[in-house]
Amino acid sequence: MQLLAYIGRRLLFVAPQLVGILLVSFLLLKLIPGDPAVMMLGPFATDDGLARLRQELGLDRTILEQFLIYLGNVVQGDLGTSWQTTLPVTTDLAQRFPATLELVTLALLLALAIGVPLGIAGARYKRGVLRTTADYYGLFAGALPDFWFGLVLIFVFYTLLQVVPPPLGRLDYAILPPATVTGSLLIDSALAGNWQALRNAAGHLILPVATLGLINAGPILKMTQSTMERMLESDFSRYAEMCGLPDRVVARKALRNALPSIVTIVSVLYGFLIGGAVLVEIVFSWGGAGQYAVGGVLNADLNPVLGFVLYSAILSLVIYLLVDLIYFAIDPRTR
Amino acid sequence: MSDRRVEGGPVLAIESLAVAFPRYGGEPVHVLRDIDLVMAPGEVVGVVGESGSGKTMLARSIMRLVPVPGRIDRGRVVFAGRDMAELDAETIRRMRGRDIAMIIANPRGELDPLETVGQQIGNVLRHHLTLDRAAIRVRTLELLRQVSIPDPERRLDAYPHELSGGMAQRVVMAIALACQPRFIISDDATSGLDVTVQAQVLELMRKLVVERGTSLLFITRDIGITAHFCDRVAVLFAGEIVEIAPRHAFFADPRHPYAILLLAAYAQNERLRRYWLGDTTAGAAEGPATTGCPFARRCVRAQDRCRAEHPRLEEMAPGHFARCHFPVER
Repeated sequence: MQLLAYIGRRLLFVAPQLVGILLVSFLLLKLIPGDPAVMMLGPFATDDGLARLRQELGLDRTILEQFLIYLGNVVQGDLGTSWQTTLPVTTDLAQRFPATLELVTLALLLALAIGVPLGIAGARYKRGVLRTTADYYGLFAGALPDFWFGLVLIFVFYTLLQVVPPPLGRLDYAILPPATVTGSLLIDSALAGNWQALRNAAGHLILPVATLGLINAGPILKMTQSTMERMLESDFSRYAEMCGLPDRVVARKALRNALPSIVTIVSVLYGFLIGGAVLVEIVFSWGGAGQYAVGGVLNADLNPVLGFVLYSAILSLVIYLLVDLIYFAIDPRTR
Repeated sequence: MSDRRVEGGPVLAIESLAVAFPRYGGEPVHVLRDIDLVMAPGEVVGVVGESGSGKTMLARSIMRLVPVPGRIDRGRVVFAGRDMAELDAETIRRMRGRDIAMIIANPRGELDPLETVGQQIGNVLRHHLTLDRAAIRVRTLELLRQVSIPDPERRLDAYPHELSGGMAQRVVMAIALACQPRFIISDDATSGLDVTVQAQVLELMRKLVVERGTSLLFITRDIGITAHFCDRVAVLFAGEIVEIAPRHAFFADPRHPYAILLLAAYAQNERLRRYWLGDTTAGAAEGPATTGCPFARRCVRAQDRCRAEHPRLEEMAPGHFARCHFPVER
């Protein structure tokens, strides 16, 4: 009951938060030089034609007016049209956002599967192979640029070994995509019983997921290891040791106490990677949301950018709400 | 540990124990030196000393939990007739909490913030005794009642942050008593509590220990507390026992200048202060470090011999030892 009230209170603030985020992005985007009308009509446009298009687009109005009109449309579920794809932004994002989500989610799962166990081992055994591995891993993962690492993986596993499909999108062109339900190709093809598409989509996911996962395991490992170390040296661990509890029990207590930090770093990475995976998306021609937004920025195509901002903002708010609920579940002091 | 050998023998015998920490580019630093202490079953020994005198290190070396990179450098700890150095890590781990229990200071910080009182007591019971879930619950409630926690059923589900300092202290005592250990170390346990709660907790501790014949090593910074219920008092300074004596002998006839300063600092009234200080005056300026008596630089009675020669622990009267070249005579 208390929990529901809390969630309700949080949701009350969602709308004003989103409006604020949109306003700031709108203003910032307007600061970028570039006239959509010029971009749209190309080099042979007449002044007359440009003026007419500007009027049609509402570009002759004040910025505030433009924003309010945009906001009015957003409330009705209309995020405008991208002049590059000539499609409604909602249609574009319905395809691209899940592509990015699928990639980032799987990558973070991989990163967790590597970073957490290695971080725990590094914290528990101060010397030994695992600790050394953890130290070097953190160093390399922090130092390698992800797009470069992606290119190396492509070179090794596609060019040389030829064990993965070409880095050109999420499916081979010859494969019929499954009907869109969730937007995740894995889930949708499983739902449709389309095993060929499932296998193919999984194959395409391997390298980009490995790229992002292996790199982002670095910060997760570092956070897990340092928090675990602190917890293992903390008073309650020392006391548990004095009570003669077995090492694994002490480690389990420390891990539970370290969990909020791990959840936090994962949530931060998640929010960051929605846009931050763009270089890897480009390397693998993923057609994700980040790529879409960057294209918009470069071509003075405002609606895709704002649509992307709105979607990521909503996602971030959902993630942070989830994080708070997880804290709630883990730590009685927050209840 | 139903060891027949120990019947009648000391529960704990520490023989010339030394604990050292390596120092980069220098001689290792000894945080404990030449500690000898034998405790009989049921005996309560108070250990008094200032911060950094090695009190906690003493507790931790008995438990074989000297923090790295420190290590026991010399000497033995014999617990119930068994030399701890000869036991493997797992055996010692099982002894902690079951045969040797610890009552700590600041228990709210030392209990796991994410587990309920019931879980934390239950954990110790489960890992040391073979009890099923129901038996653990019964025993946990019994323990909470023994340490006079009101409404134990409700407290079972309380988290540490929901307890007052006094309540948390009682929970830690319940954990210490859980496996009916023969030896309990209390490390500055009541220092965080206000005076009335402190008195209650001390009284409870005294009662539980005396009733069961448990030996208690009572480590404290407050020399006044030791007057209440310790059979013997030991004063620790710079990692050494500088005086150890039966309680009455200690308070009536302290011999080491440092012990006298401690007593005088504690004394509330002027007459008592003068009685302990005698013709010595407190507060000598700190002199240079010496190879001799570590207290020499603060001692008003220090002479050349003190700065040159390290004193040995000498028997002043039966059972009354002091480590001083010029012990105070009265």
